[in-house]
Formats: sequence, C-alpha cells, structure tokens
Amino acid sequence: MSHTVLVCDDAIFMRTMITDILAQAGFEIVGEAETGSQAVEKYKQLKPDLVTMDIVMPDMGGIDAVREICKHDPDAKILMCSAMGQQALVVEAIQAGAKDFVVKPFQPSRVLEAVQRVLG
Amino acid sequence: MDLSQYAELFLAESREHLSACNQLLLEWERRPAAPEPVGGIFRAVHTVKGMAATMGYARVADLAHRMENLLDHLRRGGRPPSDDTLQLLFRATDALEKAVDLAVAGRERDADVETVVVDLDRAVAALAPAAARAAAAPAADLVPSPPPLAGPIGGGAGRLVRVMLRLEAPLKGGRAMLIVRKAQSLGGVHGITPAPSAFEAEDFDGRFAFRLETSASPEEIEAAIRTVGDVERVAVGEDESRAPRVEGALEAGRTRHIRVDLRRLDALMNLIGELATARGRLNELAAEWRDPAIDDVAIQISRLSADLQTEIIQARMTPVWQVFDRFPRLVRDLARELGKQVAFRVEGKEIELDRAILDELGDPLVHLLRNAVDHGVEVPAERRKQGKKPEGEIVLSAVRERSSVAISIADDGRGIDRARVLGKAKREGLVDARAESLSDDQLLRVLARPGFSTAEAVTSVSGRGVGIDVALTKIRALGGSIEIRTELGKGTTFVLRLPVTLAIVRALIAAVGPERYALPLTYVAETVEFGTVAMTTMEGREAMVLRDRVVPLVHLRGLLGVSGEAPPARRPVIVLELGERRAGVVVDGMLGQQEIVVKGFEAPRGTLPVFSGATIMGDGVPALILDAAGLL
Repeated sequence: MSHTVLVCDDAIFMRTMITDILAQAGFEIVGEAETGSQAVEKYKQLKPDLVTMDIVMPDMGGIDAVREICKHDPDAKILMCSAMGQQALVVEAIQAGAKDFVVKPFQPSRVLEAVQRVLG
Repeated sequence: MDLSQYAELFLAESREHLSACNQLLLEWERRPAAPEPVGGIFRAVHTVKGMAATMGYARVADLAHRMENLLDHLRRGGRPPSDDTLQLLFRATDALEKAVDLAVAGRERDADVETVVVDLDRAVAALAPAAARAAAAPAADLVPSPPPLAGPIGGGAGRLVRVMLRLEAPLKGGRAMLIVRKAQSLGGVHGITPAPSAFEAEDFDGRFAFRLETSASPEEIEAAIRTVGDVERVAVGEDESRAPRVEGALEAGRTRHIRVDLRRLDALMNLIGELATARGRLNELAAEWRDPAIDDVAIQISRLSADLQTEIIQARMTPVWQVFDRFPRLVRDLARELGKQVAFRVEGKEIELDRAILDELGDPLVHLLRNAVDHGVEVPAERRKQGKKPEGEIVLSAVRERSSVAISIADDGRGIDRARVLGKAKREGLVDARAESLSDDQLLRVLARPGFSTAEAVTSVSGRGVGIDVALTKIRALGGSIEIRTELGKGTTFVLRLPVTLAIVRALIAAVGPERYALPLTYVAETVEFGTVAMTTMEGREAMVLRDRVVPLVHLRGLLGVSGEAPPARRPVIVLELGERRAGVVVDGMLGQQEIVVKGFEAPRGTLPVFSGATIMGDGVPALILDAAGLL
C-alpha cells in the first residue's frame, strides 16, 4: 500500500510541486493545508503516514503546528520544508519534533531521500 | 525536472502575494504603529522568495530575500517604520512585481533590481548597525571555534562520537540537530560541542562531537547516524531506533480546490453555447413532432444543459477584489503626486462578475478613479476654504442588482460645473445654442466627446477628456452603461452597470419585417401596446406618456430602414430602462423570451451603433442583438 501524505504550505505553487514530486514517486496525497491550524486539524482527521510542513504560514506557523501534532501523536513523521537562511527555525522545528527537512529550491531526488529517511 | 509547467502558477500566485503586499503596505502607512501588517508582508515576500528560488529565478529570489531582511528587522524592532522606509518598500514591491513578470517571460536579466537592492541593504544597515556587523563577521562574534575533529572533548561517561557533515549539505545545523536526536534514541547524550545554540548560526561548519552512553556497538552507532543523511565522516571512540509504527487506515479526504486555466473555461463556455443552440433547435423540432417520447428527452436535455450552463457560469465568476485590490495603491500614489489627501474606501469586494468582464474593467475604472483624484477632490487648502474636511473621500463600490452589477465611483470633491461645460459645449456646437441647462445624460454625452475637456491645466494624470470617452466605449462594448450624477461643490458619482455574465443572456426576441432581433432582458422594463397609451412629443421627438412619465419612442422599422409590407396594426412597444433613462422601442411583433449565446460582432463601417453582438437562433439563422445603451 502506498504511503499517505498531507502537504502543508500556504503557496499553491509549492503544494503543487511537492504533490507532483511525491505523486510521481507513488505516494498518495490525501490532503493539503494552507495554514498551521489547518495542518493540525487535517492531521487528526486523516492520520497520514507523512506530513510535509512549510515553516512560514499565516494563522499558525509550521513550527507551532509541529508541536501541536506531536502533542497529539509523538510518532508523527513530519518533514519540514525550509529555505536557505532558516537554520535557526529548522533547529527549532527539529527540537519540536520534526523528523527531517528539505531546503528550497527542491530537488526531487533530495525530497524523496528525505521522505525515505523519515518513513524509515 | 521541467519547471516551465509551473511558470503560470508561479506568476498567478506571486501576483496575488504582491497584491496582498501592496494592501498591507497601505494599511501600514495609514497605521504605522499597527503590528499586524509587517508580519503579513514578510510572509508574502517570503513565499515569493521560496517559489522564485524553486523556479531558478535568482534575481527575483535575491530581491525578495533583501526585502525579507529589512522586514525581519522591522518586525523584530517593533517600531513604526519611517516614511522613507515605507516608500522604499513600495518601490521594492514594484520592482519585485516587474522582476517576476520579466522572469516568467524569460527575460529575468532585464530586471533592474540593483538600485533597490542597494537601498534595501542600506536601510537594513541603518536600522540595525550591530546586527549588520554581526552578520558580516558572525564567526568571530557568535560561534565558538569548532573543535578539531580529533582530540578529546570534555570528560565523562559514554563513547565519544565525532561527526563531520558533507561540505555541500544545506542547513548543517538542522542536520546536526537531527543527528543528536538520532543519538538520543540510542541512549543518553551529553557534552555536545559546540553547544547546540551554535547549530542555529548560518555559518555552522558541520563539525561537532558529543558523548553517547549506550549499549549499542560502534558499528550500530555509526550506521544509525549515517541514516540521518548528509554525513561525511563519523568516528566512534572506545566506550536502536524504534521500528516505525505501521500506520492506521487512512480516511478519505481530498483537496477541494483545483486551479483551472481560464482558456479551459472559455472553451467550455463556447461548447455550452453551441449546446444551447442545439437545445433550442431540438425543442423546436420536438414541438413539431409532437411525440411524447421525444418531448421527454428534449425536456431532460433542456434541464441538464441549463444546469450545466449555470455551473459553468458560476465557475467563471470572480470576485471584484481581484481587480479592485490594486486601486488603493493607485489612488494613494496619485494623491501623493498631486498633493491631495484622499481617504479611499472599497465596498462590496466580494461581489462576483464574469471573469471576462472583470478583466476588461480595469482600464475604465483606472480612468474614472484618476479623474476623481485629479478633477474631483480639491487640494486640502481649497477644501478648507469650502468648509470641508481637508481629506477628500473616494468610494468605489460594487452592488449586485437584479441581473447586473452596479459599480460606482463617488468622490466628495468639487463636482462638475454644468454652466462651464454648457458654455464650452455651445461654443463647440455640441448642444443647441438655446439650451439653458444640461441634464445628467446630456452632460455625460458632452464629457464623453473625444477630446472634450474643461480642465484649465492639462495635467499628466488626466484632463484630456479621454478618460470618460475610453471608459464609456469600453463599458458599452461589454453590454453595460455609464451614468453620471454630479452636484457643484458636493462631488461626482459615476455608476457603471454591467451584465453579470457576457456569455449567455436572457433576451426578448422581437420581429421587425422579416428579421428577428434580440433585446437583453437586463434593460427591458416592460412592454405596452402601441396606440393604447397617450402620445406626446419631447424635444420634437415622438413620445408616449407612461404613468406620468414621458418616454421617447424609437421606431425600429424606421431606424433600420425596413421597407416592404406595412407593419401590423397592433404593435408592441418594448420599454428599455437604463438607470434613469427610458425609451420605448416600437417593433412589429414579439416572439417570446429566450436564452441567447452572445457572439462577438465586428460591425462593418457605417453600421448603426445600435448592435452589441449577434446570436444564432434555434433554427440556425443568425439574429442581431440590440444595444440598449445605443438605442437610448
């Protein structure tokens, strides 16, 4: 059975690209979220195998969303999507419970490597 | 991977974010002490940066990055921005917008970002001299020297683990933190060197060490650490991760929105149009055949295609804010340039219009808004003299009416001096020399004459009279109308009425001689029978009296030059209504109401300006659509 993924990013552009990369690799995208609070809500509802999480989002940021999700499910597998210059935020996200990160601009091979690592 | 397929999405989304940027900048300018706008602007610019970097648009990403830097300082500083800073951010937003357009057009090199980048960096340096210095030399200020890979670190229990990350690994601090977490899954970790806070520095070099108390073998430790990725070397000195849980069943839950290329919707609309024509023909055939089975199918197809049509039209509907949102910036810039104070309000942003109409609406609205700022609103000194607030007000609002949308632009400025316009119009022979006043309608017609202007000084902004001329032509081409209301000293309001959709309209089908004509119902007020109401004259023209109102008449036969057989004795009059104006159109007969698919119509030279388009009737014969505004 293919792994299920929840894609969280406030930019449709980014969601489309991540969705394309993962779908082509055989993952099943079961949901998308545009804000941190949506991500938390959809995580509870969809229980995906993997979450890709943008750091900067309106309403509730990605790091707070990681905290909330991990509070609910400490085993949640969350992959942060970060940009250059976000070292401190990435460290914070990992301390909050994120399992790995990829750096924009995305290279499909690196994204898939990270996903494989996170899923074990 | 092929990125070109994402270019349009990138462009569309970047524009949305930049539009949000402008909105928020305006809000910030109004209330510099408010903390919210800067966060929103930061997010918008950050998103554009990430998308641009992914597309490989280095200049766009770089400019966005510099803006983000400045915004970050402003956000952290918590102090209201200076006017200079705000102007710089406006300028940078403009530059970013241009750079995005150029990048998507494949001409990113042409994007001129250097000066604004220099200014942004200078602003950052001025805001936070200490931070800028630290950024220039962070190794000395913030991070302790990394430990040599060999050599002991601290004492204590556990194996000494030293790690070096790959040189090319991005965000090495994040990776190091993941490795520490991984080690923690094997046992107790202490003595991390450098301290984890150093991982947060951008220039952390990827070399670190720690002590690990674990029962795992050195090989197991190294293997576990290597799974984290980006590891160049691991050395485990002398002194198991949990199996991934099998995930539960997933619940169905899918995204609810997709983006559709507008051309797809246009193509669908055309197909629906043809389907509607075929449906009409089928209904006529069914009526001839009188077969209950065929009737059933015809009715079913009618219903289905009507539903389909509604859905497609709904899918084309776009809220007006998509066009309105750029106006606050435009009005502000213009007011600044002209030394005026203007409070600009937008109402009814959520009202929807067909995308095709909305796309055409931008230019006319820009003309009218320019007029309002330039000619309408007075300079503060003059307003004070008139006993008005120094700040003028312009309101742009959209209101849904029956089957149309009314968009009005109202200012509380000086209004239009009818006497002066009348004088000029008389001199130019545009109105009867004996006329004593101008009605609103006449005023609009005079103002809309190409080249007509009463502005003493022709400014760069408007004043050449083209504004109203261009706006009127465009709105009429969209099947809409413009109305003007003005009062000297109090202000001017333009009201634009537009059909909600262009593609399919309900129309009254009228017969004149052997031809059929369609009159969009949007403008039909009622019908009466010719000869049953009292007749009179109005300015020398034939008119009828309808409930105490004098309504001028237009004989379509005469207008269109239809000769041949005499008209029938009983003739209907279709009363058209456009804002305050009314006119009765005398036709030979009425053939009922019908939905018609509007097709563009290139009128040959010399055609009367009373047609707005054409349609194909159910029997395949074309008919012309009469333009209410033209007839009035």
